Amino acid sequence: MKLLRQILGIAVINGKWILRQPLWIVQSFIGVIGMTITLFAWGNNPALSNLVIAYLIVGSWSLGLNIVAQTIGWQRVDHVYEAYVASPISLPIYFTGTIIGSMPFFSAHLTTAIAVSLLCKMDISFVPIVLLISLVSLILGAFLSLSIILRLKNPTNISAITNPLQTLTTTLPPIYYPLTFVQPTLRELALIMPTVPLMEIGRWIASMPTGLNLAFSLVSLVAWIAIVTLLVAKKLKWGLE
Amino acid sequence: MTGNAISVASLGKKYGDTWGLKSSTFSIRNGELAVLVGPNGAGKTTTVKILATFLKPSQGKAEVLGMDVVKDYKKIRQRIAYLPQGFGINNNLTPLESVKWTLVARGSSLSEAKLRAKKWMELMDLKECMNRTGWTLSGGEKRKVAVGMTLAADADIVFLDEPTTGLDVEARHIIWKLVRDIVTNGTTILLTTHDMKEGETIADTAVLINHGETVNQNTPHNLIKTLPYQYRVTVKKEGLNGAALPDIIDLGDRLIIYAKSDRKLRDLMACFSDLSSIISVDKVGLEDAYLHLVNGGNVPK
Repeated sequence: MKLLRQILGIAVINGKWILRQPLWIVQSFIGVIGMTITLFAWGNNPALSNLVIAYLIVGSWSLGLNIVAQTIGWQRVDHVYEAYVASPISLPIYFTGTIIGSMPFFSAHLTTAIAVSLLCKMDISFVPIVLLISLVSLILGAFLSLSIILRLKNPTNISAITNPLQTLTTTLPPIYYPLTFVQPTLRELALIMPTVPLMEIGRWIASMPTGLNLAFSLVSLVAWIAIVTLLVAKKLKWGLE
Repeated sequence: MTGNAISVASLGKKYGDTWGLKSSTFSIRNGELAVLVGPNGAGKTTTVKILATFLKPSQGKAEVLGMDVVKDYKKIRQRIAYLPQGFGINNNLTPLESVKWTLVARGSSLSEAKLRAKKWMELMDLKECMNRTGWTLSGGEKRKVAVGMTLAADADIVFLDEPTTGLDVEARHIIWKLVRDIVTNGTTILLTTHDMKEGETIADTAVLINHGETVNQNTPHNLIKTLPYQYRVTVKKEGLNGAALPDIIDLGDRLIIYAKSDRKLRDLMACFSDLSSIISVDKVGLEDAYLHLVNGGNVPK
């Protein structure tokens, strides 16, 4: 019970900004709805099916990469992190609370994905499993971002790092368009972006066409998890630095 | 409770090739308010960060409540609270929410946290602004919120790194009163400051630190007693009539002159034809003792 209270405390502290500044969420909803209409107009149902997967995977990826990592990064700059270290709050409590506190930001992607699935009469039985991949996506995104921003020598505008990183990993690679659109010889190369294997696994779970054998995506994802976990473990210390 | 709350022996911390703290040795008894005083870069913050288990020492030993800061850090964290220097409050929360939810994050129940947060709003004189977000608070109010978040934790040991920097006199007095109150109730506090007057006013014991090493530790009263002087006189140079004085600090067009006794003070006064050149006459204090000690017993030039 105490553990849950502690997580709740961190979640409220780190999530209050979203509720106090609701226009961020409104902006997120507008972007997601606009994208949905655009893709529906050009690509109809196949595009929307891919979009549902993309919203679940990329929505959580962005949450981890941008929101969670920024919160932690700024709390290091503001020395809030130090105060938490010197307290009964542990790193798992802090990290979990920060993720839960940031969750309202995922609402635009999640609700739109579910609404689109229902409107298009899609079989949504894949959603719970894709949500598990979303969790991996969220943590991987947060770790990737943290492995960079925790290495910055001088405190800087952290969002100036995380925002471009988000754009790079979500708009350029085959996320909103299928990997099958990419030349077969270049498809393995696309796995350089961690979001691509995540999307491919999501498409496979939803029985959608994939551009590569699933094994390639799994190997790429495991490699990304291993590399980023090692990189972040060296820098994300909970005291005794 | 007796015994030491904090014990530090030959403690050092190296940042790359540079020693941020060379060799610090001191101890603080349970229920004491200790101040760690010294100039910028002396090693005060590094010392506190090690004791708060945020930094790992490179050499020496540090114990908090009889527990080793490296081996027993988890147990120590259950019993301490720490306000780092430069701590920024969350502007999206109100002062009441900041204290309440910090207490919940530390493990308090919601009802207990709410009660304690309200009590601390009154104690910190933040009642009028307790429901306004941080964006609308003044710098002093934000600082008081930060101090309140730390003190409200009801920890056995509290580390406050320059808690009163930038605060006006009244706000400083509120914090001084609160830290004295909670020390009286048995909490141990280690507070860093470079305001010697603050140290002299509130400390039970003062640890003087310079260039990463402990210079001395004693009660402010005993440290002041080590001085061979009784008075410090601040004067305008122009009024001196060319008299030669041995124990002075040159401040440009002004001087601080030390007098060893009442008689020497009277002799000094006699040097001035115009008494309006004398700006102030004070008893020597912790600042003078500190300067004396770090300069090897000489008046600093």
